[in-house]
Amino acid sequence: MNSLTKNLAKPAVPFGGKYRIIDFPLSNCTNSGIYTVGVLTQYQPLILNSYIGIGSAWDLDRKDDGVTVLPPYTASKEVKWYTGTASAIFQNLNYLHQYNPDYVLILSGDHIYKMNYELMLDYHIEKEADVTISVIKVPWDEANRFGILNTDEDLKVVEFDEKPKEPKSNLASMGIYIFNWKLLEEYLLLDDANDDSSHDFGKDILPLLLKDDKKLFAYPFRGYWKDVGTVQSLWEANMDLLDESSELNLFDQSWRIYSVNPNQPPQYICKDAKLTDSLVNEGCTIEGSVTRTVVFQGVTVKKDAVVNETVIMPDAVIGKGCIIEKAIVSPGIKVPDGSVIRPKDDGEILLVSEETLEEMVSN
Amino acid sequence: MNKRLLGVIDATTYHEDLSDLTSHRSVAAIPFGGRYRLIDFVLSNMVNSGIQSVAIFPKYQYRSLMDHLGSGRNWDLNRKRDGLFFFPSPSLDKPVTGIGSLDHFAANIDFFNRSTQEYALITNAYTVFNMDFNPLLEWHVHTGCDITEVRKNGATLGIYLVKTSLLMELIETRKETGYLSMRDVVTDINSPYKLCYYNYEGYATMIDTVETYYAESMNLLKPEIWEQLFLKERPILTKVKDEPPTRYSKSASVQNSMIANGADIEGTVENSIIARGVKIAKGAVVKNSIIMQKSRIGEDCILDHAILDKDVRIEAGAIITGTKNSPNILRKGSVQGEWLNS
Repeated sequence: MNSLTKNLAKPAVPFGGKYRIIDFPLSNCTNSGIYTVGVLTQYQPLILNSYIGIGSAWDLDRKDDGVTVLPPYTASKEVKWYTGTASAIFQNLNYLHQYNPDYVLILSGDHIYKMNYELMLDYHIEKEADVTISVIKVPWDEANRFGILNTDEDLKVVEFDEKPKEPKSNLASMGIYIFNWKLLEEYLLLDDANDDSSHDFGKDILPLLLKDDKKLFAYPFRGYWKDVGTVQSLWEANMDLLDESSELNLFDQSWRIYSVNPNQPPQYICKDAKLTDSLVNEGCTIEGSVTRTVVFQGVTVKKDAVVNETVIMPDAVIGKGCIIEKAIVSPGIKVPDGSVIRPKDDGEILLVSEETLEEMVSN
Repeated sequence: MNKRLLGVIDATTYHEDLSDLTSHRSVAAIPFGGRYRLIDFVLSNMVNSGIQSVAIFPKYQYRSLMDHLGSGRNWDLNRKRDGLFFFPSPSLDKPVTGIGSLDHFAANIDFFNRSTQEYALITNAYTVFNMDFNPLLEWHVHTGCDITEVRKNGATLGIYLVKTSLLMELIETRKETGYLSMRDVVTDINSPYKLCYYNYEGYATMIDTVETYYAESMNLLKPEIWEQLFLKERPILTKVKDEPPTRYSKSASVQNSMIANGADIEGTVENSIIARGVKIAKGAVVKNSIIMQKSRIGEDCILDHAILDKDVRIEAGAIITGTKNSPNILRKGSVQGEWLNS
């Protein structure tokens, strides 16, 4: 993921032909009726900040609440970088005090899913929980890659297992938490005072809450959910969209995923083009052959190019007669005519970026 | 930024020959090119030329036009100072008298009084083109003309440039002069004003009949034409819709077509313009046709030389054909079943 995120915060990585990853949690918020949203940013925030803007794309440009970008700031003596998820929120307690809410929903900006947080809040209230953690059932043989929650029959959390070698449950934490605000504040203060803490929700705060006998509940989520933290998983999540039975339906008007619309002309499909099993966004010109591919806005695929099982990010140009398979082509990349880009090993996904292009093409 | 130029769009025109497409909307709001409305072209040209203040004068059926333009946000015209203004005609009974009705302007004279721009550009709302108005303004100032009419190949494009003070003089003296519109002013051979013609070389076409609507839509499929209309540095802006990318299924076959976002294509599409949110089911064949927003075409249909307005539903197996000179137009919201053709 490095080349893609070198100049780009992960939540700003393009996904699904027109979106950026953060469109999913932001659209979930607005569709769930949550209109007060703080976005914590730190690494390479320029594009993410200007992308979010005043939040009008998600209807979050509001008079009294709306979206607020919360970068680290200089305290009186030093710049306090966010050292963990908990420290990021701790340093913005002022923001939370300003609204003094009953509940705080904490989300990750790099997951792809559609979820009604309101239902999760109903569950949280109904269970009289202190904290509710959204979980999803993962295949047992993959459970060792996740933070696993062991629960009793009533889904009350009894134990955390971070990447367990021998998992006792397959309920994986989705990194989505609802806290009672007063409790959150109390534990953030406690955590900040603890010099041994890494200031992380999963590693520090939640285990401490559990030790103190607080009521933590697991909220079972059904539906599509994917952490797109690697090139492989980002590619897979894009390919999942092409699956006709995919649970992640972008065409569902009742739960739209909003995005900053590029306002480009319709896509032009040329006379000799062949285009099947793909998603294509506006502003594209397709002259070649494209199958099982996700094509972002402003992309050109020139004559006789053959593209298969690939993700082509905005404004990239695929030259004449290129053959590209199982790759992610980074934004704005111009692949020279006649290039052949396909992985040598089965299961490998190539990331075509400024850095890797030259090497790939010369081979 | 062009603080010297005021944009005035006359959206009152009614063309009898386009009535199949204007029963629910004004000519300015006719969908064009898969995602645009006719007014988008002139409005985007104004904004891309740096014009900050645009007044729109509509008359008939302007609900859909207002819905489309909204606060002007998509054109960056939602401003504190200047921005987008909307002046519906107070008199529906008076006939339309050519581009730039002076009566209609007179009813909103306060707007002209308040505007600080030295020059006013008065245009129609149904020309498809991508024109930078700055060279026109420079030329007009340089030549010292009173009124400049923009022409293409010797024919008017219904676009006039005047000093705002002269426009106000024309409005105030309309009773004495008998001029009803800007067109009257420039066609009067005894006019006391110095009239000039500015020849526009680029692609420009006025949509005033179904035949031109169809022919110019098909022209969009020629790269030499769309390359002149859709420029990265001067984009044609329109109301955005939050549609997902278009999905092409395994059975899709698409050639020489322009397809907007949010469509779902499972059938065959050739030489056609497909708007946002259109669904074309398996086995359907769409050729030489224009399909507007959210229309649905059932399995195994055959469409040739058809224009489907918004929200039309074609049930499975139907055959709808027209000819180049007389395309088969289905009105907004209509439903066509197989039995109607048998």
